[in-house]
Amino acid sequence: MKFLVSVALALALLTLESVLVKQAGLELGRIDVTVVLVAFLALRASLLEGAFSAFSVGYLLDLMSGQPTWLYTFLAVFIFLVGRLVPTFVEVRGPLAFALFAMGADVGHSLLATFFTWLTVKEDGPGALLAELPLQVALTGIAALALYPLLRRFEASQERPAGLLR
Amino acid sequence: MWSLLKRYYRPLIVGFLLLSPLVAFLLGGRKAREPNFVDRAVIAVASPVQQGLTALIEGGGAGVQNYLDLRGVRQENDALRLENLQLRAAVQALGESRMENERLRKLLNYAEAEAGPEIPARVVGVNPVAKLLSVRISSGEQQGVFRGMSVVTPDGIVGQVIRATGGYADVALVTDPQSRVAVRVQRSRARGTAAGTGGGPLKLENMLRTEDVEDGDLIITAGTDGIYPPGVVVGRVTNLEKKEHGMFQGADIVPAVDTSKLEEVLVVGSPYSAMAPGSTAEGASK
Repeated sequence: MKFLVSVALALALLTLESVLVKQAGLELGRIDVTVVLVAFLALRASLLEGAFSAFSVGYLLDLMSGQPTWLYTFLAVFIFLVGRLVPTFVEVRGPLAFALFAMGADVGHSLLATFFTWLTVKEDGPGALLAELPLQVALTGIAALALYPLLRRFEASQERPAGLLR
Repeated sequence: MWSLLKRYYRPLIVGFLLLSPLVAFLLGGRKAREPNFVDRAVIAVASPVQQGLTALIEGGGAGVQNYLDLRGVRQENDALRLENLQLRAAVQALGESRMENERLRKLLNYAEAEAGPEIPARVVGVNPVAKLLSVRISSGEQQGVFRGMSVVTPDGIVGQVIRATGGYADVALVTDPQSRVAVRVQRSRARGTAAGTGGGPLKLENMLRTEDVEDGDLIITAGTDGIYPPGVVVGRVTNLEKKEHGMFQGADIVPAVDTSKLEEVLVVGSPYSAMAPGSTAEGASK
């Protein structure tokens, strides 16, 4: 999956999520579409291409957060690198396995984001955010199921067909 | 050296991509960077799409809602006519009170509060990260919206502009855990601070134990933070906790505005740049 496709897809998904969350009237619940994208990159992309793509996806999430602090850029690259280790222990194949993998990545992403936010803000607010975590992880899992065929299609369109010259 | 770099360039690049944002975050902390040209370009591309999608979804929803609303519209009209009569009577009475208020103000030599601009805007999207509760609105620098201005609706306070670019701005909501607003109890004029908790009710803080506050009291902005104009409704007091010891009493404030269902807002007040040097910014996001 190419870098530019990842960036364009991340921008489109973040925009769509932002509108859907508003329309649904969710107060704290979010759908971590960028984590789904990073999880897919961790499984399918090469190290350099995936790291650059994850960096860009994280940068976009940081920017869309309204208060860019580089935290989500770091977390996207970190989740990408940790996610690359997972297939060495378990096989992630098919939409359901991918959804579970994305949900696991989302739990890690949210806990780390809460920890780092607490580290700098030192507020007693994480309770409310963690209370919404199950809903957020479930929504991310559903989004992963829905996005899996689309991501596979994008990936297939990027693969070079075996040419006659080979 | 060159052969080492050539051999390990992949881990080095990945290490840089991982560590550079972490270092920038740890050094900068919660302080957001000013939007650079890349940020502005991305916002300029994404925001019109957000606005278009919102308009499309709301337009479709409004079509269905209009059809449903036609049912029972006559009864509603009758009820509204009655309510209109009552409101006109109330407006007349208020007009008298206003005249009297103006006369008394003149007698007391009160300085008139300067009314700033009121810039209308539509909410086009919600921040996709729940760590900072904010929304994006369809007015920005081009319309005269700048960082530090406050955002309200006719029902009450919404939040504060934290970033403005060309035609769009991001607004941190009063429910965000980092939000603090200087407030007053409307009935007794007791002063305190309304703190966001990340959704749900706000917390009433710094209210002295001896102050007169009761469940159901209306909380309004005090205007002493230099951010929010005075007299804007914040919410109502609930779950009042009068402690036996300590300096302060605690309570929850049910916000007057449901920030999860915002559609249109007004941007008012002055940006940070217009604030006098040395003025306080208690109401700003910390």
